[in-house]
Amino acid sequence: MNLLKISIQNMKIKPLYTFLSIFILALSIALLLGVQQLKNSFEHQIKNNLAGVDLVIGAKGSPLQLVVSSVLHLDNPTGNIPYDEAQKIRKNPMIKKAVPISYGDNYKGYRIVGTTSEFIALYGASLQKGNPVQKPMEVVLGYLVAERLYLNIGDTFLSSHGLIENEIDVHSDELTVVGILTPTQRVIDRLIITNLESIWQVHDHDDHDEEEEAEEHAEDHDHDDHDGEEEAKEHVQGDDHDNHNSHDQHQEEKEITSLLILFRNPSALLTFPRNINKNTNMQAALPKYELDRLYQFLGVGFKTVSWIAYLILIISGLTIFISLYKMVKERAFDLALLRTYGASNVQLIKIITYEGLLIVGFAFVVGFFVLKIALHYILNVLDGTKQQNILQNLPFEQLLYPVSLVLLITILSILLAIRPIMKMSISSILSREK
Amino acid sequence: MVTTENLTFYYKKEQHTFSFPDIFLEKQEDLLVLGKSGIGKTTFLHLLAGLLKPVNGTICIADTAINSLSARKLDIFRGQNIGLVFQKSHAIQSLNVFQNLQARLFFSKKAIHPKAIDQLLIELGLIEYKNSAIQELSVGQLQRLGIALSVIHNPKVILADEPTSSLDDENCKIVIELLKKQAKQTEANLIVITHDHRVKSFFSNTITI
Repeated sequence: MNLLKISIQNMKIKPLYTFLSIFILALSIALLLGVQQLKNSFEHQIKNNLAGVDLVIGAKGSPLQLVVSSVLHLDNPTGNIPYDEAQKIRKNPMIKKAVPISYGDNYKGYRIVGTTSEFIALYGASLQKGNPVQKPMEVVLGYLVAERLYLNIGDTFLSSHGLIENEIDVHSDELTVVGILTPTQRVIDRLIITNLESIWQVHDHDDHDEEEEAEEHAEDHDHDDHDGEEEAKEHVQGDDHDNHNSHDQHQEEKEITSLLILFRNPSALLTFPRNINKNTNMQAALPKYELDRLYQFLGVGFKTVSWIAYLILIISGLTIFISLYKMVKERAFDLALLRTYGASNVQLIKIITYEGLLIVGFAFVVGFFVLKIALHYILNVLDGTKQQNILQNLPFEQLLYPVSLVLLITILSILLAIRPIMKMSISSILSREK
Repeated sequence: MVTTENLTFYYKKEQHTFSFPDIFLEKQEDLLVLGKSGIGKTTFLHLLAGLLKPVNGTICIADTAINSLSARKLDIFRGQNIGLVFQKSHAIQSLNVFQNLQARLFFSKKAIHPKAIDQLLIELGLIEYKNSAIQELSVGQLQRLGIALSVIHNPKVILADEPTSSLDDENCKIVIELLKKQAKQTEANLIVITHDHRVKSFFSNTITI
């Protein structure tokens, strides 16, 4: 027999109260930690994936979309820009590094990015095994892509058009895995990297195929449908014209999706983006600014959920207080009886304190458990859609704040609940209960 | 040995002073304190148990002047040397019969011997309720548990406050005989305060207040 055992027995005799106290507190702990973790993960994700990129140049449209699609690889691109134009920009003396990227295809939902060798260095990745991309149709896999798709050096696959996994619009050119990157905890872990030529080649071949199909289609019309001859000719001529144009454009005016730029000097940020936006058909977007804007927008949601969590925390603190106070009041005779057994006030206070701390302890365990399950679920959902594992484990220092807050509320509840014990008159309680 | 001298107590709220007769009990000597309701019997018992501090006078139990002890020392003394029996017997609701007796010994800072607890439960006819919850006991069983709780730690004094008031004649006799038997076994003084004249025949030493 000891004081802790008495506290546990006291909790067991009122299971509903105990369960509710633990459950409400666990919920608020899970919410508080969850919001903290999401906020943290979001901030980390932004900082981590900016990779020092100062500016993104892409097709006109939403600057946020351009940044989210080109830096975080989460959204669709705004369009394409001429490679020639990008090359001219690259020569600007203010630019330290300019990395072109081109994408629009995927393999099993993982984006295929056509770029230069600088892209890998930009994200601090290096080859874990294999070789870098040297020829068109060779790819290097991000660490998670290789792990999740069980791909290895020498494996080949066919990419699908678009950024969402599909088996309908599959390209005919095989891509060969030549290398696998080291893990970086950055977006590159989930990308398939190739050179720009691979992207152009895949789409050139597709254009050729479409051209040939159109010609066959025209011949069929010629033989089978004499009456529609003129219409067919017009159609073929039209298609021919377009395809040749398109073909020529691919030959002469190659396109990329965007250009990731790192400046030599931050002062370039003041003039360079304005020049691009004013004097070209392209747009320049500042990743840090756009993502800060996105964070501020989402921050309202984070704040709302945080306030709800704090509110629940206060309610759960009140529940603990009511539970302990009720216990002290209702079982005043029991406590007085313990005093006649030789128990001191300090021992009675310890019994109540243990009860409070046990509730908090269980609530923390349940809260963590609930949080883990919830995050696991969120991870699964994210993995199924965006192929992005954005959640970061909460560092210990950041756990301390909610833990201290919960402990403070609990101690306050205990202190308020034990007041009747301090003022307890054993004689009057025993006389009253006679 | 229990002695009191010039004992008075003052209730501030009611502005009423109680004065109590001096008592002198040798080791194992019993005492019945009779008196009408409201005369201060329970106050007298609570003074003897150290639950109230007298305005004047001294209380000496086992050669210790309890009214001069500090609060903590008094708690310890009470736990080790005094056993209390109430009219309506109570035990800790969250603990079962056995655990209640264990808790009594724990707070008395006495060694817990499960066999000794079992022996007492056998003597009081409660052994089959050893693991029962308090709520499952009848009034009579609860009263017997109250007696067990008052003697398990081998006190120097057993103080019983109206232990038979709510009992029929048969149970009244059983409870008094049990109390006397247990007091004898533990070599304790038994002091019963009551307005119930049925118990008068069991005691040779009686005072009326």
